[in-house]
Amino acid sequence: MRNFSELNPIAVSIYFFCVTGIAMFSSYPPFMAAAISGGILFFIARNGRKHIRSHFFFLILFIILAAANPLMSHNGVTVLFVMNDNPITLESLLYGLNSAAMIVGVLYWFRSFTQIMTSEKLLYITGALSPKLSLVISMALRYVPLFKNQSKKIKDSQTAMGLFSDDNIIDDIRGRMRIFSILITWALENGITTADSMAARGYGICRRTQMKRFSFRKGDILLLLSALTLTGITVAALGTGKLEFKFYPAVKYSTPDIYGIFGIIAYITLVLLPSIIEMEVGLKWKYLQLKI
Amino acid sequence: MIVIKDQRLRNIIRVAVPFIIIPTVTILGSIAFDRKKHIIISLAVAALSLLLFAAGFEKKNTGTRRMVIIAVMTALCFAGRFIPFLKPISALTIISGMYLGGEAGFLVGALSALLSNFYFGQGPWTAFQMLAWGMIGLFAGILSVPLRKYRTVLIIYGAAAGIAYSMIMDIWTVLWYAEGFKADLYLAALGTALPYTASYVVSNILFLSLLAKPFGEKLGRIKIKYGV
Repeated sequence: MRNFSELNPIAVSIYFFCVTGIAMFSSYPPFMAAAISGGILFFIARNGRKHIRSHFFFLILFIILAAANPLMSHNGVTVLFVMNDNPITLESLLYGLNSAAMIVGVLYWFRSFTQIMTSEKLLYITGALSPKLSLVISMALRYVPLFKNQSKKIKDSQTAMGLFSDDNIIDDIRGRMRIFSILITWALENGITTADSMAARGYGICRRTQMKRFSFRKGDILLLLSALTLTGITVAALGTGKLEFKFYPAVKYSTPDIYGIFGIIAYITLVLLPSIIEMEVGLKWKYLQLKI
Repeated sequence: MIVIKDQRLRNIIRVAVPFIIIPTVTILGSIAFDRKKHIIISLAVAALSLLLFAAGFEKKNTGTRRMVIIAVMTALCFAGRFIPFLKPISALTIISGMYLGGEAGFLVGALSALLSNFYFGQGPWTAFQMLAWGMIGLFAGILSVPLRKYRTVLIIYGAAAGIAYSMIMDIWTVLWYAEGFKADLYLAALGTALPYTASYVVSNILFLSLLAKPFGEKLGRIKIKYGV
């Protein structure tokens, strides 16, 4: 019984690319609605009432994006009103709403993705692709806090020696530049020492190992298979050409046939999958706690 | 890439991806999809070129010391992205490309985009940022001789890199929003991005003029001291 975020990173990232890929590459309004509501639902299921500010930010972004299109583009036949001699049409307003839903929805999904994909998981994925690249990434990640500490030390000793003055802005910049320059010299030498030490301990003799092991268990395979199957059904339904929605010159759409309906259901299921997993795990926990 | 063990197959892929697959994807994509779907092609091309680079890097016999220096530069770029208003990331990428070669420049640019986006937010634009910064570093490596020799060339390259980065990212913005390239939207996007473009240009020029020469001295010193 694992949370969605504890599943195998490869399965999780394939899932994310399926969801956001369909949302980005099809402009079918029901899919956009599913993507944005699923994204918000999953974000809330993970974070609860936290991150109110980012919801606010996304809302403002949505409004700006939706309003930008009717102000910029004057295609379409149904004129709602005329502003500064420019017609504002219903079609371009709907198109703007659709694009805004797509962008904000994808942003919500990627927000959750960034939260789930910690750097350790990234190393797991890149390690499977290219061990060397994975080494460079892991070292760079380790160096960031190290450099932060070291630059504080350098600054303290410079201040103690009376070399660092921040009376005016030019002295301030000069002092910072000196600290940065000292830091670079130190970092390069430290790097060379690290490299020599690594070589002395036998780096490169065999494959790099991982501290945490992610294996493919039943849940991961289930997630991977269901994500790929549902994506396949959705893409096949898109491929039949029945799921079409034209904004210009006038809104025109065909009622989806049985395949189209299957496609829509498949995408909605795909989008709801992680929220269902989160809720199921939460309920199971509650149930087990009640038993105790 | 670890999956491909066969030397010949790897070489074939290395030649095939840039000269056959990428043009085919571009041409077929523009025929098969209508104007709306150009975003798929651009993302596919960006992802393919990044993969190609990863494969090439894996194959090469890069020394441990070189790799560690690349990691150091990437970490410096990452840390530099936290400075408000001024962004030293392009300048540091250019410096890496100049002194460590084009491949190192590409890696530093691409990896710092990837890693710092774990803090600043990942998205479909990550691939574009990686490619844009990687190319800045790669060209700095190719042009390393004049860049090292003439200071004005370096400053001009820095300013051009700032403008080019902004222009590449705006192509992506327009493709994503409008599904198809529209010139008027692109111009509008460039206009709204003007403050950012200015800040890129200013910080590139500032950091390059301040850092390029001392950096060369430091790397030279390391070379003498440790015999890299």
